Amino acid sequence: MSYQEKRSIVSILTGALILAAYCLYAYGKYQAGRIAPDDLKAWAGVMLVFIGIGVAATVILQIVFHILLSVAIAIRENVRSDECDNKELEKTIGSEMVTDEMDKLIELKSMRVGFIVAGIGFVAALVSQVLNYSPAVMLNVMFISFSSGSLMEGIAQLYFYRRGIRNA
Amino acid sequence: MPKKFQITNNIRRLRFFAGEMTQQQLAEKVGASRQTIIAIEAGKYAPSLELAFRIAAAFGVEISEVFSYEGQGE
Repeated sequence: MSYQEKRSIVSILTGALILAAYCLYAYGKYQAGRIAPDDLKAWAGVMLVFIGIGVAATVILQIVFHILLSVAIAIRENVRSDECDNKELEKTIGSEMVTDEMDKLIELKSMRVGFIVAGIGFVAALVSQVLNYSPAVMLNVMFISFSSGSLMEGIAQLYFYRRGIRNA
Repeated sequence: MPKKFQITNNIRRLRFFAGEMTQQQLAEKVGASRQTIIAIEAGKYAPSLELAFRIAAAFGVEISEVFSYEGQGE
């Protein structure tokens, strides 16, 4: 499995964890009656906290992933040859993490998938208001669809790396 | 029915004749990732014209010796 595929998996796992955590926390609170459906301020607060947690978790997990990957490459290179100096090791790690035109194309195409999912969610959120649901439903639909969009972006990225991609 | 074109390549053969050059070595020569070379070789990715020229230059051959395209569904 390549570096790019592993990175996509880390991104999918992070997105899925944050989404699951939000659903469990928010709906747990709602079920317990500690947050009212019309209390927009409370819902916005919960979402802001989870956006913060999401950003922090993404940064931390990516750092941990890159450290672990570098350690794994260093161990592999040391096993392969006993005389492996730091410069050679840095070069190997650098060449494993190269980003080129295919990565950029995959990033663009998967981002488009993410935007489509988020866009559908936004429309669904507006429809919920036309159908007289509470504004909290709109907020939640929007938050979940944007998170799902990010998740789908990671899944699409993994799919394109596995199946290949055409320029046309 | 419109024609479909598929780009095929001889990279595997050219690597063999270049002293069993590895995919990693080719990737480093052309400034791409090994993943991209694997995808091109397997026909899963059609490279840009610039990368195609760089690959041909890495083997010291014309681009037409590396890549060709064939019609399908005629």
